[in-house]
Amino acid sequence: MSSIGRMKLRGEAESGPDLSVVVPIVERYGDLRQLTAEFSAEIARLGLRAEWIFVVDEVQRGALPELREIQRTSEQEVVIVLLGGAFGESAALTVGLERARGQRIATLASYFQVEPRGLGATFAALDAGADMVVGRRYPRTDSAFNRIQSRLFHWILRGVTSAGFHDISCGFKVMKRQVARELNIYGGLHRFIPILAQNRGFTVHEVPLAQRSENRSTRFHGAGAYLGRLLDLLTVFFLVRFTRRPLRFFGLLGTALFAAGFLVDLVLAIQKVFFHTGLSGRVVLLLGVLLMVLGVQTLSLGLLGELVIFTHARNVREYQVAEVIRNPRQGVLQHPDGKGEVRVRNLR
Amino acid sequence: MDLSIVVPLYNEEESVDALHAEVSAAAAKLGISYEILYVDDGSGDGTVGKLRAVVDRDPQVKVIRFRRNYGQTSAIQAGFDQSRGRVVVTMDGDLQNDPGDMGLLLAELDRGYDVVSGWRRDRKDRMLSRRIPSRVANWLIGRLTGTRIHDNGCTLKAYRSDVVKRTTLYAEMHRFLAPMMSLTGCRTREVVVNHRPRQFGRSKYGISRIWKVFLDLLTIKMLLGFTTRPAAWFGLLSLPFLGGTCLGLAASIYSYATLGPQRDYPLVFPSVTILFALAAVHLLLIGVFAELVVKVGDFKEKDAVLASLDSRGAPV
Repeated sequence: MSSIGRMKLRGEAESGPDLSVVVPIVERYGDLRQLTAEFSAEIARLGLRAEWIFVVDEVQRGALPELREIQRTSEQEVVIVLLGGAFGESAALTVGLERARGQRIATLASYFQVEPRGLGATFAALDAGADMVVGRRYPRTDSAFNRIQSRLFHWILRGVTSAGFHDISCGFKVMKRQVARELNIYGGLHRFIPILAQNRGFTVHEVPLAQRSENRSTRFHGAGAYLGRLLDLLTVFFLVRFTRRPLRFFGLLGTALFAAGFLVDLVLAIQKVFFHTGLSGRVVLLLGVLLMVLGVQTLSLGLLGELVIFTHARNVREYQVAEVIRNPRQGVLQHPDGKGEVRVRNLR
Repeated sequence: MDLSIVVPLYNEEESVDALHAEVSAAAAKLGISYEILYVDDGSGDGTVGKLRAVVDRDPQVKVIRFRRNYGQTSAIQAGFDQSRGRVVVTMDGDLQNDPGDMGLLLAELDRGYDVVSGWRRDRKDRMLSRRIPSRVANWLIGRLTGTRIHDNGCTLKAYRSDVVKRTTLYAEMHRFLAPMMSLTGCRTREVVVNHRPRQFGRSKYGISRIWKVFLDLLTIKMLLGFTTRPAAWFGLLSLPFLGGTCLGLAASIYSYATLGPQRDYPLVFPSVTILFALAAVHLLLIGVFAELVVKVGDFKEKDAVLASLDSRGAPV
């Protein structure tokens, strides 16, 4: 990874900006100059000081001249990071979030998805106590085909993770610094950032934002893209539900498979013993044995999973503490007899 | 510090003030130094606000607020992690336990026990939905761990801190903490305690799903048993499949030997043999792999045993 641009030197740079805007440029990009200009104007109107971080995947080198132009003309700080290879969107986001110095961090798709005028509402939701706010393009103005596929995807997602998001693939999200620090995204997990954040105990809100007219294209994805998404869903499913208790999942599946196989073979055995049906012609016997074998293999993988967690992550705590509230006078204890106060040393 | 009192709370807005008044009065009566740790398990009501007010009034109180609801096991674990007393007492936040019983538990600890568990002999709960499932679960836990405790679901318990500090609660383990601890060499004891009907709110925790308890218990018992020798354990698991392989082989040979002239040899038996052999080999290999996993992990049986020996004889 090589860092091409440096941030402009400014007098107040030390305190860090109010907002970092991270833009991963990976799959495609639109008119970056206009995008930056419109969002910058809105951010300035809200009275915030922002820095822009563009993370460019190797394959999108072509965006560099335009970005340099933005860097030269922008009022706000602009950082350009060029990745040394085609690492994908999750990696680009991770790099961008790591670089961000703002108290609040926004991520933005590299093409127009939403109108900038929704920014105010998003920040208001953060002020009201949310840790992360995700944009929802609503009302949708896409083609019916796009809307149906999105509906279907989110319907499955809700079933799998029981998180009620409507537009998880909207690139616009704003989060507090702490959220960005704790997020661990890799592979295709960038799509599920709100769910991962929620799983770590953060409050995530969804805010409807007007969809930009440019974002109306009808896009057919290849079969590979859908397959990839489904596999990512599976990953999220495991991460959210079963990381701590693999046997809950593998155990159930394995037991069910084994029981099915056992039943099949039991029926065959009964037929053999009582009705003298020879086993040699029964192909179903094979099915029963296969199911039992599969069941035990699944179960043993679950056990192995439990073992990995027990021996490697036993002391990893499942809970996340939001805060520890203490009295400022703590450490000064009341004497049991009520005769004044005794100072005790902090035992830890 | 002598005593840490850990109270998990989940949506107990109405009972916080009464609870704190009772707990602190009972603790003060004991005449030892103490702290009270309230763990807010992601309450959605005004519990946290009430707790803040309590912290402002009382310097002995510390509140641990969770980001979201993680369940009672995690809440108790957090209390254990933050506790500084030489003895840790846990109790319910719904006022059904009587804080006045703490003295009884501490007295038993003084007699040399490591864990003292409350027994709500006279339970004030619904028969069908709470008491009968709990009976079944307790019986099951007793059978599986070998330590018969009448009332595992009672949150009112007292522990020596060294026991608490070296135990990591696992899954829903708070439900059978005492028998678990006795498996690792702790001396456990039961004491009959008061149980009062619920005054505020409604019950949130409870032994509602016995199968969950059962599965967890089985897992933990298995883990404790086979973490030290996983290859042997998986080897044992593969035995029935080795047997199946032998049977299949015998059937194949028999059917071949008794094959009449001009008849097709049935492929079912050799296929079954191969499948069983596959599973047996797979299990053996997983056993070897598990051995590797354990070897590079941090689990040291020796440490656990030594720690349990050290805890003996230390005065509370």
